[in-house]
Amino acid sequence: MTTIVLVVGLVIYVALYMVYGKKLERDVVKASDSNKTPAERMYDGVDYVAAKRPVLFGHHFASIAGAAPIIGPVLAMAWGWVPALLWVWFGNIFIGAVHDYLALMASVRYDGKSIQFVAADLITNRTGKLFYWLVLFLLILVIGAFGAVLGGMFVGSPAVPSAYILKLVAALILGVLLYRTKMNFGLATGIGVIMLALAIWGGTRIPITASYGTWMVVMFFYIIIASAIPVNVLLQPRDYLNSWLLYFGLIIGGLAAIFSFTGFSAPAFTSFAPIVSGGKATPFWPAIPLIIACGSLSGFHALVGSGTTSKQLEKESHGLAIGYGAMLTEGFLSTLVVVAVAGFGLALMTDKGMTISVAGWAKEYTPAMMGSYPKAAMFTSSYAAMVASTWLNFIPTEIVKVIAGMWVASFAMTTLDTTNRLGRYTVSELMLPVKEKNEKVYNFVTNRWIASLIPAAIGIYLAWSGNFTILWPSFGSANQLIASIVLLTAASWVVKRQKAKPAIVLVPAYLLWITVTASIIWFTVVILPDTIVANPVTGITVLVIEVIMLVMNFVFMADFLKSRKKTLAPDA
Amino acid sequence: MKVLFFTGKGGVGKSTLSAATAWQLSQTGYCVLAVSFDPAHNLGDIFGVKLTHKKKKFTKNLYLQEIDLETAASEYVRTNVSLLTEVYGYLQSFNMDKYFKVLRFSPGIEEYAALTALEKILKNEVSKYDYLVIDTPPTGLTLRMLALPRITLTWVDQLIRLRKEILNKRYTIHNLKGKYEPRGVQLAYKEEDDPVIRKLFQLREKYSEVNDILQGEKNSVAIVFNPDYLSLRESERLIKGLKDLQFPLRVAFNNKLTDENNEIALEVEAKLLSAGCPKRIERVPLIPHKGISGYMIEHNLTASFL
Amino acid sequence: MKRHGFVNWIKHILSTIDTSHREQAAGLTEFEARELENIFVLLLMGSFTGIPAPPSFIAAELLPHLQHEIKVLKFRAENASDSLAEMAGLLGID
Repeated sequence: MTTIVLVVGLVIYVALYMVYGKKLERDVVKASDSNKTPAERMYDGVDYVAAKRPVLFGHHFASIAGAAPIIGPVLAMAWGWVPALLWVWFGNIFIGAVHDYLALMASVRYDGKSIQFVAADLITNRTGKLFYWLVLFLLILVIGAFGAVLGGMFVGSPAVPSAYILKLVAALILGVLLYRTKMNFGLATGIGVIMLALAIWGGTRIPITASYGTWMVVMFFYIIIASAIPVNVLLQPRDYLNSWLLYFGLIIGGLAAIFSFTGFSAPAFTSFAPIVSGGKATPFWPAIPLIIACGSLSGFHALVGSGTTSKQLEKESHGLAIGYGAMLTEGFLSTLVVVAVAGFGLALMTDKGMTISVAGWAKEYTPAMMGSYPKAAMFTSSYAAMVASTWLNFIPTEIVKVIAGMWVASFAMTTLDTTNRLGRYTVSELMLPVKEKNEKVYNFVTNRWIASLIPAAIGIYLAWSGNFTILWPSFGSANQLIASIVLLTAASWVVKRQKAKPAIVLVPAYLLWITVTASIIWFTVVILPDTIVANPVTGITVLVIEVIMLVMNFVFMADFLKSRKKTLAPDA
Repeated sequence: MKVLFFTGKGGVGKSTLSAATAWQLSQTGYCVLAVSFDPAHNLGDIFGVKLTHKKKKFTKNLYLQEIDLETAASEYVRTNVSLLTEVYGYLQSFNMDKYFKVLRFSPGIEEYAALTALEKILKNEVSKYDYLVIDTPPTGLTLRMLALPRITLTWVDQLIRLRKEILNKRYTIHNLKGKYEPRGVQLAYKEEDDPVIRKLFQLREKYSEVNDILQGEKNSVAIVFNPDYLSLRESERLIKGLKDLQFPLRVAFNNKLTDENNEIALEVEAKLLSAGCPKRIERVPLIPHKGISGYMIEHNLTASFL
Repeated sequence: MKRHGFVNWIKHILSTIDTSHREQAAGLTEFEARELENIFVLLLMGSFTGIPAPPSFIAAELLPHLQHEIKVLKFRAENASDSLAEMAGLLGID
């Protein structure tokens, strides 16, 4: 079954890439290699440097791949594997990948300016500013959500944190080798990979057991310190090692899924509204985008694509493979996760003595999953079980678990300190209006350490006290809000600049906006009240953020509708 | 060559004292060049001769010079303009190089000009004279002018540091990617290939030299003040400024002493001592007449300098 | 012939992977190098940017050798106000 689903998924992705993707390219984007991309026209060797398609694909894919495409599907299994796959496949193909592709191409046509710039141009300036706010909220919530994931995983799988710490040491050493001693690249890479392998092995030998609270504190300090060190000391070599981890994880996982030939023990479909978030019934619509974000749709990707990728696109025809294709690839990754949990999850949870049955899945899955394998650990165990069921079982299961755990941990931790670096920038941009009125406040808030502390402190606090099933959807809400704004901006671009038939974009865009808005309202009204009672500070913080975002969302929609009427000056 | 700077508020008699010191030193047998940077040139008046931007022989051992800051400024601008004209030479074809002349009005030209003039003297005359006696301009300009070599050094050092970082990163990239040629331009990544850092090193050497002279053993700064409260504030400022610049304050002259102002003189001295005035204070009595041969005074001024 | 084609294909894939890795390892350093060049020139051209400048003759002497850096300055100045997405991409937010 695992194999069949995987192959079916692959076929669907490829087929629709060819049919739907190409259609977008031809009729909507009207991509043509005779239009020179910014990388060609504005080649300045600074930002605008054309990169070969496969290289750029790798780069873009690595930038958008992370921990979220793994964690989301695990949660979504509460609905059964069919709904989860439906969203991962068709949500991705018709909404998510379209979102990524159009954001990329709109940016390319705008001389490589970011989607934020495009939005400010096509809608209103206010929309451009909105991005700063949403990104800031997103940063805080993602620290909360990922922090909770990491905390749970570090507690549940003590081998992982020690492997991770060893990997940090390896990264520091690699950094010195590459950037200080200027050692031969291949040699340094080799040493780096060996150190990585040793770190993984070492983790199993010397696991570190600590309490959830301890890990919260450790992460807090890690965020602050790591975001202050120069990038080539830790960040760059660490990210480089991560990319190797990604390859190995994907290859092993892919092979395991194909050769596993295991039937699915999880139900295909449980209920429209099983218990997922906050112990409450969570309706598939509108909540699914909040649960599975990066595997099928993610606002982050538009920033990444329009931030660097668009400036490096060699030819317009490459855009499809990179913008659309990379997202589909990530969808494939999520498919892997669904398959693993569907095949092995039930057995794993039963082994841990959880109350779980196919019949009662709708009510029992989330508590069982959270009880036995906090958050991401369900993935690592399923992944390990899947690998063990194939000819790959020569790799000890302990090691495989740590590999999978490291995979999630590495990407999640990367996001954490990136978040802080971005947070400083965002806070100072947002505080600019304050500068005129009250310089003291401005100086205080934008002080290097304070601006660093704000997102980290709020985020870790949320992670510490908050319920993961609350934090994850709230992170999803900020992310998807950005996505819906981007998609509407892209639709606006299609109408105004492309002068093409917009329905293919406009319809999903409106649907998405409605879905996301509905999901936030549902989340705020149904889920949050109990949280506020249980955990007032966390609940109120999230509530405030959600309400502000909701208000901004409506302001945006009003601006968008007004802008539809506004005609643009003819393109110079 | 030893350098003597006479500093002090306007009107305290520093021009007279510097002139007298120069005279006395030359009479002792040393070759002396006395230069005035003070725009309110008194040097010529004191010696009873007309002086210009070029040095003039007074006696076999004593040469005199009045630096005309305007001329110095024009020369400075011309040098800079010619540098720009070198780079943008083609502009001369359209007479557009005249627009560079606005540089003359840039802030800070005065002190650059003064410093450049000083540098020139230090370079050209070092072997010809035993003593260089300098009558300085008003406090503010003096401090700014004397601070320049150090400021320049600080800037150059920082720029060198930054440039080294850039070269280091380029070297890393070159090592990782095999080349670093944005826009097909070969960028230097080694110090020996980078004209920018080589120029910076040159500048550092030049200004280190000047700075060493100014802060070194061969330099002496004298501060002149009067026994009254008017000059107190500015003298304190001057002392502080010179100390910050780490200039060797060797001696102070309490000038125009009389029997009447003796008490005040002591008070003023005490205050200045606590502000960091050099302990060696020479008391010079008020000279009843001025003007011709005003450079000849009885009190021996050279004791602190020999 | 076919074997050659296959071997070449493998070589091509490996070289692409190699380039990709090098780009990854060098990416942030390149960004940093460029930004330092930008800052270097900004410091020298104080009057352009309103910041207190070094003694002007320093800039005058170095100017002819800084053509690349000045181009960097120009391009970064144009894009400085649109940096949020670029930072997100460079730092690998996801």
